[in-house]
Amino acid sequence: MSASASRLKAVLGIVVLIAVPWIIRDRYFLHLLITAGIFVILTSSWNLLAGFAGLLNLGHAAFYGAGAYASALLAIRLGLTPWIGLICGGLVAGVFGFLLGIPSLRLSGPYLAITTIGFAEILRMVAMNWVSLTRGSLGLYGIPPLTAIRLGPGMRIDFYSERNVYYILLLLLFATIFCFRRLTRSEFGLTLKAMREDEIAAESIGADSNRYKLTVFTISAFFAGVAGAFFAHYQRLVSPETIGLGETFTILTMTVLGGLGTLTGPILGAVLLTFLSEGLRFLEDMVKIDVRMVIYGLLLIVTMLFMRNGVMGLLTRVTDSVLSRKKG
Amino acid sequence: MESLLLQQILNGTVVGSVYSLVAIGLTMIFGVMKISNFAQGDYSMAGAYVAVLVFAFLPGWLGWIGSLLAAAALIGLLGVFTEKFVFRPLLDRSTDIDIIMVSIGLFILLENLALLFFHATPRMIPDPFGGATIRLGFASTSVMRLVCLIFSFAAIALLELFLNRTKTGVAIRATSENRHAALLMGIDVNRIYGITFGMGTAMAGIGGVFYGTLFAVYPMMGVMPTLKAFIVTILGGMGNLRGAIFGGLILGVAETLGGTYISMEYKNAVGFVIIILVLLIRPSGLFGRRESL
Amino acid sequence: MRTEGLTRRFGGLCALDNVDLSLSEGEIVGLIGPNGAGKTTLINLLSGALAPSQGKIVYQGKDITRLKLHDVNLLGIARTFQIVRVFKKLTVMENVITGLVDRRRHGPWDLVIRSLKHSSAAEDKEVREGAQSLLDFVGIGKYRDELAENLPYAYTKRLEIARALATGPRLLLLDEPSSGLNPRELDDQIDIIRKINGNGTTVFIIEHVMKVIMGISHRLIVLHYGKKIAEGDAKDVYEDPQVVEAYLGEERNAGS
Repeated sequence: MSASASRLKAVLGIVVLIAVPWIIRDRYFLHLLITAGIFVILTSSWNLLAGFAGLLNLGHAAFYGAGAYASALLAIRLGLTPWIGLICGGLVAGVFGFLLGIPSLRLSGPYLAITTIGFAEILRMVAMNWVSLTRGSLGLYGIPPLTAIRLGPGMRIDFYSERNVYYILLLLLFATIFCFRRLTRSEFGLTLKAMREDEIAAESIGADSNRYKLTVFTISAFFAGVAGAFFAHYQRLVSPETIGLGETFTILTMTVLGGLGTLTGPILGAVLLTFLSEGLRFLEDMVKIDVRMVIYGLLLIVTMLFMRNGVMGLLTRVTDSVLSRKKG
Repeated sequence: MESLLLQQILNGTVVGSVYSLVAIGLTMIFGVMKISNFAQGDYSMAGAYVAVLVFAFLPGWLGWIGSLLAAAALIGLLGVFTEKFVFRPLLDRSTDIDIIMVSIGLFILLENLALLFFHATPRMIPDPFGGATIRLGFASTSVMRLVCLIFSFAAIALLELFLNRTKTGVAIRATSENRHAALLMGIDVNRIYGITFGMGTAMAGIGGVFYGTLFAVYPMMGVMPTLKAFIVTILGGMGNLRGAIFGGLILGVAETLGGTYISMEYKNAVGFVIIILVLLIRPSGLFGRRESL
Repeated sequence: MRTEGLTRRFGGLCALDNVDLSLSEGEIVGLIGPNGAGKTTLINLLSGALAPSQGKIVYQGKDITRLKLHDVNLLGIARTFQIVRVFKKLTVMENVITGLVDRRRHGPWDLVIRSLKHSSAAEDKEVREGAQSLLDFVGIGKYRDELAENLPYAYTKRLEIARALATGPRLLLLDEPSSGLNPRELDDQIDIIRKINGNGTTVFIIEHVMKVIMGISHRLIVLHYGKKIAEGDAKDVYEDPQVVEAYLGEERNAGS
């Protein structure tokens, strides 16, 4: 695919994305897109850790929840505008990311996985039990939405409607994907992949793996935190469930399904699974059984067994074989 | 004279023995096959539901024995089945991540299948001793709990006997030490894998019956046993059976004491805090082997 | 480089016992000894993979005893491994590029910020050219887009060398560069080592096959049960009675 052709595709894609709310006015559909978009940021940031750096982090929901709670609390208690709250949520999550990076310096595989779960569980218990701060399992509600932007006399963009939130999310997504694309293709990304393949060899060529691990944890957590803060001001309600293991497993399933270790995999996985789960919800209403999570589990197993590189892997193999057939 | 401390230590030991049981299964599976089975607790959950079903037909003592046997057998079979079709195809892949992912998938699947069939309402496994209690010197406990403790240790003892005295058991230990050598000795490694996994899950299943009696039975109950089992195996060293026993008891007692004297809400955090501290000091667990270059 | 009284114990076992050695710039020095003599331990100590129980390592006047792998590399010492450690799922070219990254000037955060400014490291023309020339130097230039794991064994060993060279070392530590190679590949490997030394890089080779090391080393050091038992010219060492005894004649017969 030539450079100008792929650029055209990208521009077309962007135009379509921008036009969507004007074509499909259904609020629920926009809500789905927004949910998918938030998951895209979550899966991409998780993928940076697990897919590129090979660090199995099962506590990702903690970063997300920390960002959500931080921004929500700042808005409710201190009246901080959510626009800044987004960044603050990211920064708070980044700190947690750094903290969680510390055990990763000495642990790997299941040991790291359990430690990260432990971390997230402890955070969740704090959210549930420090009632004076977080209102416990009731959660925080009435979180203010993104502050309205005043463009001039009589022109106000408020963020109560899904459509405007969608556009802001789109901007956020572009920024995030831009960052991840640069990061993964850069020397930094290459070093992470090298560390994933063989940490000792990576060290032998001068990469201080400790610093790299801490850095990637912080970055990954930052983005997850921003996503969390965004979610807080959109849904306007956060509860300790947000920090639950179930959230992390959903993110994990999406990423693996889409394709671990690629840039587009997590995006595809997030969108696919969000819409798939909606489709399943219809099915559930019809047949009255709760099959959604069962299917998630099956998908994860089947993907690991047969489609190690996810849907993206499948697509790449298909296009490769099609292309080679054309040549030969 | 009653002592709260001793009472809680006893309670902790009871809980700890159940932790040890599930953890032994986990550590065995890891030791022989290098699989980190994140679904271990779900096998416990399945065992608990088996018990619920058995007790619907057989009350009292019969129900108790029947549950244990049925749980061991059925969950063991489930384990063999899942090993053959889900885990074995992945064994030649070198990354940890694949296996952990698939076991997470299994975890999600089993948990939600249970939700589908049994619904979320918690069930209770009836106390076959009708709530009778017994005095043991400075502390008292329900007969139920004491029976759990005894049976847990009995199961562990049986396992040790099996591993040390029977031909298959020795074959299992051989495979865990050196797979290639075992193959060369004519050991059918695949069969060993199936048996090991089946035994590991059977232990989890029996543990699940105990979990169900001590606490309650509900589809999501698998999470805690899994996490606790991992904590215990990390404390005791992955693949280290003795370590799993001690680790389970330590965790059980630490948790109960922590819950009593520090805070009830953060009881479950005790385990995590302990391992985070332990792992920071000794990355391969308290009794584990240290990695070298 | 110089070591003083370098000792390393593992529990009750003394893998290296009071080893003194020195390497001068531009030399090729070979370290030989029967299996278990402590050779790999020595290279692990020199490269910073392990810390000594006792003793010092001095490089260009600086005490580098306590430095770890990555810091040692930043000072200009690179190494290969006895069991080849290439980045399997990266392409051959990417393997070398990871070595080319200038880590003396850019730590991880620097790289992060740089990544946001530039489009892609792997597509940078200069970088690719540099990597290509290194690959050509070791003779695997045409495999640049292959995944490292698909390379035949002998070529992965060369890839490892190319990657090590990419870090711009003045001292190269080679751990059994001949292991697993057939005679023809061995000759190629020896040529490569000669070329590297020809460019001014000091080379320190660990081997336990005599033939390889005798041909190219300026000097040999012999290790046995962790102790240095001989040092000097290839010829002198070959005839040294202690060395002969250490090998029990077997290696020598196999080598000649």
